[in-house]
Order: sequence, then C-alpha cells, then structure tokens
Amino acid sequence: MRRAFLAITGLAAGTTALVVLKGAPGAGQAAQDRPVAEAPVVPAGSPAPGPTPGGGTPSARPSASAKPSPRAGASRAPASRTTRAAPRTTTAAPRTTAPRTTTRTVTGPVVTYEYGSLQVRITLSGSRIVDATGLGMPLDGQSGLRSDDVQARYSGSSGEVVAKQGANLSTVSGATYTSTAYKRSLQAAIDKA
Amino acid sequence: MAGARPGLRRVEQIMGTAISLDLADDLPAATLHELAERTFAWLREVDARFSTYRADSEVCRLDRGELPLAEASADLRAVLERCADLWTGTDGFFDAYATGRLDPSGYVKGWAAQVASDRLVTAGAPNHCLNAGGDVRVRGHAAAGGPWRIGVRHPWDPAATCLVLTGTDLAVATSGVYERGHHVIDPRRGAPAAGLRSVTVVGPDLGVADAYATAAVAMGEPGIAWLDRLPDPWRHAVVTDDARLLGSRTLPVTD
Repeated sequence: MRRAFLAITGLAAGTTALVVLKGAPGAGQAAQDRPVAEAPVVPAGSPAPGPTPGGGTPSARPSASAKPSPRAGASRAPASRTTRAAPRTTTAAPRTTAPRTTTRTVTGPVVTYEYGSLQVRITLSGSRIVDATGLGMPLDGQSGLRSDDVQARYSGSSGEVVAKQGANLSTVSGATYTSTAYKRSLQAAIDKA
Repeated sequence: MAGARPGLRRVEQIMGTAISLDLADDLPAATLHELAERTFAWLREVDARFSTYRADSEVCRLDRGELPLAEASADLRAVLERCADLWTGTDGFFDAYATGRLDPSGYVKGWAAQVASDRLVTAGAPNHCLNAGGDVRVRGHAAAGGPWRIGVRHPWDPAATCLVLTGTDLAVATSGVYERGHHVIDPRRGAPAAGLRSVTVVGPDLGVADAYATAAVAMGEPGIAWLDRLPDPWRHAVVTDDARLLGSRTLPVTD
C-alpha cells in the first residue's frame, strides 16, 4: 500500500507515464497473461527524468484526407480494442483504491504537458503495477483506423506491455541519436554489459 | 568491463551521433584494432561523402547541381536508387526530399552500418554489434556467449527500455518523436506526424529497417496497419502516443 502511494506521488510529480501499457478493453488484470507484465513498481525515490507523455492533440493528428491507407482495409469500423475513452468500472477520482483482493487501481491527478493533459490509472497486484492506462487522451477517430485483422495479428488484445525493462543489455535501439539522453542511454547500456 | 572478456569495444562520434562497435570475437588485439579502425574509417568516409551538413560532400554537390548524377560515385547512385525504391515501397512516406532538398540521411546511416557489419563478417569477425545512433546491427553472439540483447528505448524515459529483443542476426532500427518534439515530417502534408511515439523495425537490412521505421512514424496510426503488411521476415513494435505498445507476434522478444 505504501508503495502504491509512493507510486502515486511519483505520478503526481509529473512523471506520469513511467509505465507504458497499451490500453486494454478488459480491466486491469488483463496484463497478467504475459510474464513480462510483472512490472516492478517504480521506486518513488527516483523521480523520473521529466518524461512528457505524448499524445498529439486532436488537431495535430493526420487529417482524414492524409490517411496513408496504403492499401485498402485500414478504415474499418472502430476496432473493439481501443476503448481507452470508455469509462471503466472505477471512478476517475484521484486516488481511488478498491482494496478488496490483491488487485486494485489507483488514479493519478491530471497532468498538463506539452501536448495536452492526461491522467494515468495504474492497476496493482500486490505491490506490482500490472497495468497503467492513460485516461482522457485525445483519441478522436483514429482508433477506427486499426483494422480487425491487424488487431487479430497483434500479440494479445490486452495490455501486455510493460514498464521499464532491461537487464544485461548489449545495446539500446532508439531514435534519440543526437541527444544527450541517447548518449546517457548508450553509456548506461555499455556500462551494464 | 575490461578484463577477461575477449573482443573490443569502441565508441566514436560520427555523423553527428554516437556510434559504438562491440567486437566479440576472440581475436588478437591487433586484429581487433585493425577491424575497428577500418569500420570507423568507413563510417567517417560515408559521413564526408553523404553529410548534408558538409557543403563539400557528394550529396551537397549533387544537390546543388555541381556534380552530374552520371559522375556520382557508385555508392551514391546506389543509395539514391534505394531511396527511390523506398519512396515507392512506403507510398511516399519515406522521402529523401522531405525537407525540400536532397537528404538521404534516413537511409544512409543504417546503410553505412549494414555495410560495415557485412564487411566485418567477410573479414572474419562474425560476432559483433554495431550501434549507429540507435540503429543496431547484431551478428553472432556477444562476448559473454549468449545472443545479443537489444533494448528498445522507452519513449518517455531515456534511461529505460520498454522491450528487449534478442537474436544472432538482426537489424533493429527505431524511429520516434520523443526526443525533439514531433520532428518526423509527414511528407504528404508537410506537417509533423502524430499518433505513433516510437516505431521499431526488425529485419535483415538496417538501412531499410530505418527507412521503414521513419515512414511508419510519418504515417501516424495508419502506419501500424502498414507495418503489419510488410512481408516476412520484417517485424515491428510500436508505441502509440497514448502509450500502448503493440508488436508483431513473432517479434524476438525476451525478458
């Protein structure tokens, strides 16, 4: 429980998306179908280095006329997968916990960032974060662009991706190539090996 | 780090980025140094010839019309051909002219690293990892013995990774918009792309992987469907702006 609050504090500090999870139609336990989903709780003692969770504003998204849809099939009915905006069973009030069994959800405050504002809800199993979802993210019609067969072919329909991972890395792939962040990451990877 | 393990590591700043080479073969030190020397010499040569920041580079001279295409080097002509193929293959979303002038950098960095890796294999160093500014080509095994482990950078935390890939013969390229704002331009609209925070493409060729990743980011969310239609053996992983991570089922993910 204390770790949970520490986690909230971390989130409140504007470090919201420490844990990346794709949205799942199901509730929080969805992430458990994959071993990797055991995301260690982020230590609150180490405020993350200023992540700015992204999300284009609706106006920044590709306009309908610019959809690539290289070949047909990308414009089917909205897939059932991306239901982030759909209200879940828990309320969106900050710091809501439902401690009954070992699984509970906690919702952080709304955080404003470069591209808008968002709110993150995490699901904990014991002291581990097993799901994290951005709430109130601009989604507009884009979700519908994902076709069903794409859905079907992706690895699992539930939140599977998890937090910060990686031990014993040989190297790191990333797009940060000219930045100091990249160098830090690269150096860290080198040092670890 | 230093000590018992065989091989050699070196990092240099070339092409405006950090390039690291990890040679894992148990070869004599002099041989390893010679291999590293040749590798970095090649990459510096590519930088000199293909940089858009050097007015005297072949690319700039061609772009200004000072160098006729027919007189360009075989390498440059081959790169331009590949860029044209990629423009077609990505429905125009990989565009070496996206900035209004010739800039094949989106392909060149990966291509140069791929060529360097190919040459290392030919030269008798089949176990290595070359990371050119986040574009990674691995072959064989790490010095410790296992397959290479390649972390994919976490889009919101530069100190973390969100995925670990493993393999003995992989090109891994990641393109994203997390670092400098939305800097990938959708060439069709001339505006920044949005929807995908980070795209990682895994396959046999690093130049192509990088171009595919860049193109998918430029497409935005429809890029997911596009990536999914790439033929075998291409694989991918995507992190969306709203923090979902999707990937090919057959992505070589490890814990």
